[in-house]
Amino acid sequence: MKWVSKDIEIYLTAKEYVDTAVIPLYSVSFGNEMKQSASNAEFITLLTNYLERQFTGRLMLVPPYTYLKSDQYEDIINGLKKWEENIDKEQFKHIFYITSEIDWKNFEDELKGSLIWLPSLPLEHLNESQRISMVESQVKQLQSLFTQKWHENL
Amino acid sequence: MSKHRVSRRQFLSYTLTGVGGFMAAGMLMPMVRFAIDPVLKAEAGGDFIATPLKIKDITTEPQRVDFTFEQKDAWYTSDVTNTAWVYKDEQDNIVALSPVCKHLGCTVGWASSEDHPDQFFCPCHFGRYTKDGTNVKGTPPLAPLDVYPIQEKDGLLYLGKAEPRTKEA
Ligand code: FES
Repeated sequence: MKWVSKDIEIYLTAKEYVDTAVIPLYSVSFGNEMKQSASNAEFITLLTNYLERQFTGRLMLVPPYTYLKSDQYEDIINGLKKWEENIDKEQFKHIFYITSEIDWKNFEDELKGSLIWLPSLPLEHLNESQRISMVESQVKQLQSLFTQKWHENL
Repeated sequence: MSKHRVSRRQFLSYTLTGVGGFMAAGMLMPMVRFAIDPVLKAEAGGDFIATPLKIKDITTEPQRVDFTFEQKDAWYTSDVTNTAWVYKDEQDNIVALSPVCKHLGCTVGWASSEDHPDQFFCPCHFGRYTKDGTNVKGTPPLAPLDVYPIQEKDGLLYLGKAEPRTKEA
């Protein structure tokens, strides 16, 4: 489900079925890195949207957690931890973070949710069908990761 | 500066007439559209979208076909890609099913569960449907998969807007 009122309404009537929260993570930078920053964001957005489409009924795609690339890592992590605290653990038994920024790997252990890192693909030069098959093959892998996690905690 | 002086008052009244004019047009336009829209709407609703699938390539085994079209969401137009599961039934009729699970909307796959190789399977809460799209009793979905109306043009499969099938399960 997406973060739109129509989906949240459905969520409220079917909470017991939606046990997974997905939070995209990406940084924002200006100046020379602006283009790279946008390209990363685009990739993660496309990917998580496609993932949401596959698993609409079981996961909630939360708005992305964004931060300035120039920020202190401590602050960035603490910010995300605050999000974690606010997400209802009873409702959302699984939290997944999806990012293309490798730095997060260093802080994986500090987070309660599972961190998924994927290298960003430059999608801007591809046509629609190429994009789809690219994103799709990535999401396929994510899907099996998700189903695996769901199985573990059955 | 210019000799043709425009007084403050004149300027204001010019601009206001201008804006007023726009506003009137803005109000009129939707009304005109209301008046002629039903015709336009009907046409748009009947739109069939071409898929890359050739009619002659359709077999009795459901296959996945993606098709892309433009969708307007408020002022935002985007390319949307939809999927259908297409096959020929025993009577040689082409069947195109929507992959959207009728429980909570996950995407179902054909034969994607090893235990049920001849059914559609939803990975989210293990919903199942038989080949004709009928929901399997005892699994979460309460209705059969939606069906796309189909058309054939130049040997290609065209799909309309998926519609709910009348309840049978
Ligand atoms: S969304 Fe398909 S079984 Fe729940």
